[in-house]
Amino acid sequence: MNWAETITQSLKDNDVSLVAYVPDISIHQVTKILQDDPYFHVVSATREEEAIGIAAGAYAVGRNAAVFMQSSGFGNCINALASLCIPCRIPIPMFINMRGEVGEFNIAQVAMGRATRPILDVLGLPYYTLDTVDRLDQQVSGALQLCYASRQPLALCLTPMLHGGKIA
Amino acid sequence: MHRFSATKMLLEHLGDRPVVANLGPSTDELWHSGDRDRNFYTYGSMGLCSSIALGMALSTDEQVISLDGDGSLLMNMGTIGTIGREVPSNLIVVVWDNEQWAQTGYQASHTAFGTDLEQVARGCGIEKTATVRDEEELLSVFHQALDEEGPWFIVAKIQEEEYLPVSPVEPEMTLYRFRKSFGD
Repeated sequence: MNWAETITQSLKDNDVSLVAYVPDISIHQVTKILQDDPYFHVVSATREEEAIGIAAGAYAVGRNAAVFMQSSGFGNCINALASLCIPCRIPIPMFINMRGEVGEFNIAQVAMGRATRPILDVLGLPYYTLDTVDRLDQQVSGALQLCYASRQPLALCLTPMLHGGKIA
Repeated sequence: MHRFSATKMLLEHLGDRPVVANLGPSTDELWHSGDRDRNFYTYGSMGLCSSIALGMALSTDEQVISLDGDGSLLMNMGTIGTIGREVPSNLIVVVWDNEQWAQTGYQASHTAFGTDLEQVARGCGIEKTATVRDEEELLSVFHQALDEEGPWFIVAKIQEEEYLPVSPVEPEMTLYRFRKSFGD
């Protein structure tokens, strides 16, 4: 399995069947698999905080849901995490494609990319960096288990080392 | 029409269907109308009320009611497009439209200056829409919404009134018992 198929399988293994996302060229490698698989309901959101709201609603009625986004859009969902997921204890795994890392060509992507992990830190939310296919299934499945056990959101940060990044 | 009285009226007609309430007075007045396990109160995340309800509607066969507000929905109008794209037949959005951000000092909202949220919904492909101005109209449309497949988008024009006491702020309990009522 390639990295995208591994993430897909980990989602299934953890009963995550709804995915809300804002498009990104790298995570498209995952979301296109999800969209072709009837196990998943994939919702295209207009904004990252909307994706968090949709995923939170799914969890509230008993369905596990994940969110996919790019680091540039992570800033758009901070209040949704801080004032909905954290106080209500709603676990949402966030797959964040990291821009502004090695190989970045666009200066406008750098600051938000660098700010993403520190923001997660001050929110008290864990994150794990996915930069190799080695033991990727263990890392992703383990993070998903932790997410639901701790009932709080967490982030899985996808880097260009994992998927090759965006070519300018 | 006043929101509290209209909320009490809707609650009498919706059985045990799940309801999501916008932050502030919509949540407080839902609590004062009758606390129940299937009330999903929100205390923050302004703008996400109908997005939360959409996520629910896509994940249960039951009808889900969103009690949103004009100021909040203006913050997240994209979600109306997502509702139009997903077409959840079991979602009923009621927008309490007082044409202002009342809680922050009664500043006029865009709906006081021509933004017509019903037309926005229609422009997003939502066909079952209405704008109502009194309880009789609201109840009539609401019954239709319970009987006919949606999604429904109902703008309820209201007059602001004195606030009720703030309801207990218990987000963790809200989520726990709401979710439990769905069997988890």
